[in-house]
Amino acid sequence: MSRFSKSILSLAFAAVATSAFAFETYKGIGRPATPAEIKAWDIDIRPDFKGLPKGAGSVSQGEVVFEEKCASCHGTFGESNEVFTPLVGGTTKDDIKTGHVKALASGDLPQRTTFTKVATISTLFDYIQRAMPWTSPKSLQPDEIYGILAYLLNLSEIVPADFVLSDKNIADIQKMMPNRNGMKTDHGMWPGAPASKGGIGNGGKPDVQAKACMKNCKTEVLIGSIMPDYARNAHGNLEDQNRNFGPVRGVKTGESTVSAPKNSPELEMATISGCMACHGLNNKIVGPGYNEIQLRYKDQTDAEDRLSRKVRAGGQGAWGSIPMPANEHVKDADAKTLVKWILSGAK
Amino acid sequence: MGNPMKIRAASKDGVTEVKVLISHEMETGQRKDSAGAVVPAWWIKELTAKHNDKIVLTSEIGSSVSKNPYLAFKFKGGAKGDKIVVTWVDNKGDTRTDEAAIA
Repeated sequence: MSRFSKSILSLAFAAVATSAFAFETYKGIGRPATPAEIKAWDIDIRPDFKGLPKGAGSVSQGEVVFEEKCASCHGTFGESNEVFTPLVGGTTKDDIKTGHVKALASGDLPQRTTFTKVATISTLFDYIQRAMPWTSPKSLQPDEIYGILAYLLNLSEIVPADFVLSDKNIADIQKMMPNRNGMKTDHGMWPGAPASKGGIGNGGKPDVQAKACMKNCKTEVLIGSIMPDYARNAHGNLEDQNRNFGPVRGVKTGESTVSAPKNSPELEMATISGCMACHGLNNKIVGPGYNEIQLRYKDQTDAEDRLSRKVRAGGQGAWGSIPMPANEHVKDADAKTLVKWILSGAK
Repeated sequence: MGNPMKIRAASKDGVTEVKVLISHEMETGQRKDSAGAVVPAWWIKELTAKHNDKIVLTSEIGSSVSKNPYLAFKFKGGAKGDKIVVTWVDNKGDTRTDEAAIA
């Protein structure tokens, strides 16, 4: 360890010892995070299983939860390619032995799946806990996640049907993950020391070598082609479409068309209720856009009543084969408000 | 013999929905391998599903169906605990039968 990093480390210890240390540097700004806030934020689960909650779940428990909360997008067997790429498939008994998914190299695979790619089971637990289900992330209990994982492992033929996954045996399962040896560490994306000095990556060395030109170098930059004037504004004002901070800005190609957006209370409600994860105002995401819904139902007098029931009960078939899950957390009155808003143009 | 199928069947309001994930190569016979030789056709030609001993679905499928096909269908009737039996026969004469209980 270099002298420099030692001094950083001792600074870090000082910061831990007096938690107000960093805070006092910026007088009058903010406050130290409370332990409860840090706990709510610190949910990551690492490959060495630091941060893994205690619990257990069986394949059959997981099957019930998966069917209820996951299967509408991922398919009953985790095989569906409709909304996301498949979770399960493409791995063999041989891969479980070697820790390399052979089909990735041979190309003998119609579609890459989660289990052909992921190297660490902790990543799956972390991701499911953090981001799933799509419409209400962080709502699953640890036991449910253990069950779901056990079910997925069973579908991948890694564990038998009567298996119970828990915090005690998850490390043994890691040794059976089909692509556990497929993760490359010899690149600059890993933080910390290079592998030769006890770290895992290459010490942050980039894989591009910007070598200075020493002879026969070009002396001036020639722009080879530019957009003709009539086409510059073809996609609207580029200035509006880029961030107004950071190193890259959009060039002003025309009149600005953006006025400061103000969200309606109904849009806020739809966002909080999780609707906007799958429906866009003017575009299809997973489900239909609100403009499409308005167009289809605008002349039907009973639509408001029927649709507000459908918001809470879910449904399938009216807009294709991807089902909408039930949304019982949305109150009856709220569902009515939302449907009225959608049918009146959803602004 | 082939690899086992995964079968789930659930009955609700007098209708049973059956979902089957079949493990099969489903080679069309149109592809060539890296040496230029045609990969021989190998696909499921017949599939039947039975509820207890009564046939509820028969289908003739062919080379246009994907590898490891997924099949879902519904039929009227069926009670919890009843047996669902799915059988396929492929063009090489191989066959496989798997069963599951309605949940």
